[in-house]
Amino acid sequence: MLASTLRKLPRDSRDTLFLLAVMAWVLLPQVGHLPLWCSALAAAVLLWRGWLAVQGRTLPGKWVLLALLALTLAATYATHRTLLGRDAGVTLLVVLLTLKTLELRARRDAFVVFFLGFFCMLSNFFYSQSLLTAFSMLLGLLGLLTALVNAHMPVGTPPLAQAAKTAGWMTLLGAPIMLVLFVLFPRMAPLWGVPSDAMTGRSGLSASMEVGTMASLALDESVAMRIRFQGDTPPQRDLYFRGPVLSSFDGRQWQAQHAGVSPRHELPANLQVRGGPIDYEVTLQPSSQPWLIVLDAAAQRPELPGYRSIMTPDLQWLTHRPITDIVRYQAQSFPAFTHGPLQPDPGLQAFVDLPPGFNPRTQALADEIRADPRYAGASASALVQVALERLRSGGYTYTLEPGVFGRHTADEFWFDRKQGFCEHIASSFVILMRAMNIPARIVTGYQGGERNGVDGFWVLRQSDAHAWAEVWQAGAGWVRVDPTSAVAPGRTGAFQRLAAPRGVVAEALGNFSPTLQAQLRATWEAVNNSWSQWVLNYTQGKQLDLLKNIGFKAPDWRDLSVVLLVLIVLASLAGAAWTLWERSQHDPWLRLLTRARKQLSRAGIDSTPATSPRQLALQVLARQGSQGQALHDWLMALELQRYGAASASRPHPLRRLKQQFRRLAWPA
Amino acid sequence: MSSLSLISYPFRVVKERLQAWFENRLPLSDHVTLTQRTVYIMPTRPGLMLGITLLTLLVASINYQLSLGYLLTFLLAGCALVGMHVCHGTLRGLAMNLIAPHAYHAGATAYFGVNFTNNRRATRYGIGLRVLKPHGADAPDRQSKWAWTDVPAQGSSVLQVAFTPARRGLHRLPRLTAETRFPLGTFRVWTVWRPAAHIMVYPAPEVNPPPLPAGEPGASGAASAVRAQRTGEFDGVRAYRRGDALKRVVWKKAAKADEQGQGLVVRDTQQAQRHELWLDWAQAGAVGVEQKLSRLCAWIVQADQLGLDYGLRLPAREIKPGSGEIHKRQCLEALALC
Repeated sequence: MLASTLRKLPRDSRDTLFLLAVMAWVLLPQVGHLPLWCSALAAAVLLWRGWLAVQGRTLPGKWVLLALLALTLAATYATHRTLLGRDAGVTLLVVLLTLKTLELRARRDAFVVFFLGFFCMLSNFFYSQSLLTAFSMLLGLLGLLTALVNAHMPVGTPPLAQAAKTAGWMTLLGAPIMLVLFVLFPRMAPLWGVPSDAMTGRSGLSASMEVGTMASLALDESVAMRIRFQGDTPPQRDLYFRGPVLSSFDGRQWQAQHAGVSPRHELPANLQVRGGPIDYEVTLQPSSQPWLIVLDAAAQRPELPGYRSIMTPDLQWLTHRPITDIVRYQAQSFPAFTHGPLQPDPGLQAFVDLPPGFNPRTQALADEIRADPRYAGASASALVQVALERLRSGGYTYTLEPGVFGRHTADEFWFDRKQGFCEHIASSFVILMRAMNIPARIVTGYQGGERNGVDGFWVLRQSDAHAWAEVWQAGAGWVRVDPTSAVAPGRTGAFQRLAAPRGVVAEALGNFSPTLQAQLRATWEAVNNSWSQWVLNYTQGKQLDLLKNIGFKAPDWRDLSVVLLVLIVLASLAGAAWTLWERSQHDPWLRLLTRARKQLSRAGIDSTPATSPRQLALQVLARQGSQGQALHDWLMALELQRYGAASASRPHPLRRLKQQFRRLAWPA
Repeated sequence: MSSLSLISYPFRVVKERLQAWFENRLPLSDHVTLTQRTVYIMPTRPGLMLGITLLTLLVASINYQLSLGYLLTFLLAGCALVGMHVCHGTLRGLAMNLIAPHAYHAGATAYFGVNFTNNRRATRYGIGLRVLKPHGADAPDRQSKWAWTDVPAQGSSVLQVAFTPARRGLHRLPRLTAETRFPLGTFRVWTVWRPAAHIMVYPAPEVNPPPLPAGEPGASGAASAVRAQRTGEFDGVRAYRRGDALKRVVWKKAAKADEQGQGLVVRDTQQAQRHELWLDWAQAGAVGVEQKLSRLCAWIVQADQLGLDYGLRLPAREIKPGSGEIHKRQCLEALALC
């Protein structure tokens, strides 16, 4: 019913509906990122325009459009407080595109819609550059090109499939050009500062930790980083990847203590490594944060072109600007190390600070332990063991859903709820340590991970985000203590982990065949990894590596331009050669006839270009009699090939005639 | 004349001169096969817009470090390049044949056809053809409209174009241009073609001409006597003779005559036309040459429609009375070339 209605539509309406559908497809991935009113407006306008097209009604007048435009401009300003910048720009783009569809009159309007469509496709990549996005936008591009090609078929009502075929061919032929440009176009740093709002909206570790924020991270199965170890993979329980170190607590929130806040008390990193290093390569997903996540502890600067990085006293590696694209770096870590001051230092005072008025019961517990004669004069490590023993045997459980905590988070954990995940456990543990006047801090990062069986990369997900503690001990410096492992040894040990609730399909699939699901996921992620390794992370470094492989000794971007230019010149020359060849190229049938005429003229049978094969054949017969019968038949076949009634009745394809031409006995 | 057009006028003149010089070098031919040499290509305004779009996309990709943005930009650029080639290929290799036009009256719309032949195994889409306006001051301001066609694979198609000949006489056909913007509209590929064929343009017939002049009894009285037949005809009807116009046959009586074994009968205008009709230059009124020709033209058309015998007397030429299509064409050509 719908199909027949669509088929009966006049061409204009059909084309408009198709264009609107393509627009909707391009805009759809944006919906989650646009203001609600903008998505609603876009949907409404597209539907309205579609209805106008189907009904064949006139478009709204200029004043309606102007009013709508003014309204949406005001709404954009109200939402974003600016008309510039990335998010406001995308909103405006979507608004302009959809409103322009209401003004599709002349060909020029159509072009404006096409070009705005291309911009919209690009703006999708601000939010996602996954393989899926790429595929969906490829479809969008094909759709737009189809509409464009269709708009240039002015005669009759050509089927859209025809335009789609042309567009598909053009894309296919354009792909090699894309490949060459993508590989060789010199990559450069941003030409000017990127507006700051480009940095928001991505989840990950952050410079602060409010108890509860990690819950969402733990449910996020997206990949945070991939690692390729150059030797054996260390045991999973030892894989602590250091991210933000949080040292200052205001009662609700843990925050990083930035270097240089109080230079007088700044502690030296004092990193000393022992044993053999682990070399590995990290591919880090964009985090919009300045942390280079490395395995504890990296003494050398990770090699990362385009970024400058420094190590803070608490062993964090910070870049000079947030990491906004996928980066890859080489790093070297030593699992055995000591760091921090070995003797008491005034700078350590900052790590026992607790805000007054919070967690009184935890403070009481600390005082109680301190007062306990069993622990009189006990070392810090002994007190750590006391706290860990309490976690192990005190009925504490690890859960992803501990509920909302009140003002005294540590009190609630130690005495009331007795459950939580790494964040609560680490926070409560550090508060208890500090209450006992032992310097302690929280380290966040990733722990564990798993190997992708398909491509061998070690994968860390956002769900591997973890928080643990570091406690200062005289003579040993900062020592890692993972209180979570005391509560739930499985969390940091084996693969066993609390699973977040799954969707219906995943549930069914998982119940049907857990290995199949794991296999599918591993394959999909391996594909995704290749995508980010080869496409998303195709940086200047990789380009230059490529040139090195070709044979350049010390390539830089100028060599890239040279290679690109050489390729362009070569392509132009090939084009020119092809043109020359094409100019000499005639109808293959005519060429064959000309060759035959040349052969015959040697035997004295003269002819003009207008002489038909039949006439030649008759002349051959007249001249040579039965000797020339084969030649006569061939000439007649040549005649039939061209002038035979239909292709079905042509028994002699040109190819066979050419073969026969060589075998014929031509008169001398 | 506004100041702007004062400034742009010399440029326009130079441009037109250049164009005229260039086009005069084109060979005159009724058949052309388009080659690399005769097909021109330029980006259109949307093509330039696409260029700007590509540049913007590239800058955005660089600034936001979007690898997929690079891919999109380069794929689009690749498609545009392929589109340029496809666009050029749409015209290149196309053969055009002129279908010779009939004669037309000045001021009336004249049609003629062009046959496109495509040897390729792919359809050539979106080929437009139109008549170029002539160079010079008296040229009409507006270009004529495009006619569009698709030329099927290894087939041909015919396009009709129209123009309005302004002056009588034997004229060369106007220049033609064929163009395509297929597939993306970012490039315009075109050719200019000067057909060799001529078209005979008769004077425009006067709109409300005075009635035909009276016949002259004079010189051909003998001829009239010869034509007086006494073969039982009445009511101005006589037996059909070879050469009689078909429209003078009395078709109502044809069936009955056939039954009775008689031949066809025709209306005998000679009966009515005792006198010879001469359309005379001297009698065409005391207005200018063109008006006189225009009146004579109208009279010829009128006389032909009435089926009369008529002769034409021009200052330099005299055509003996007669009738029929050939006679009419002879008279009109005499007027056209006068």
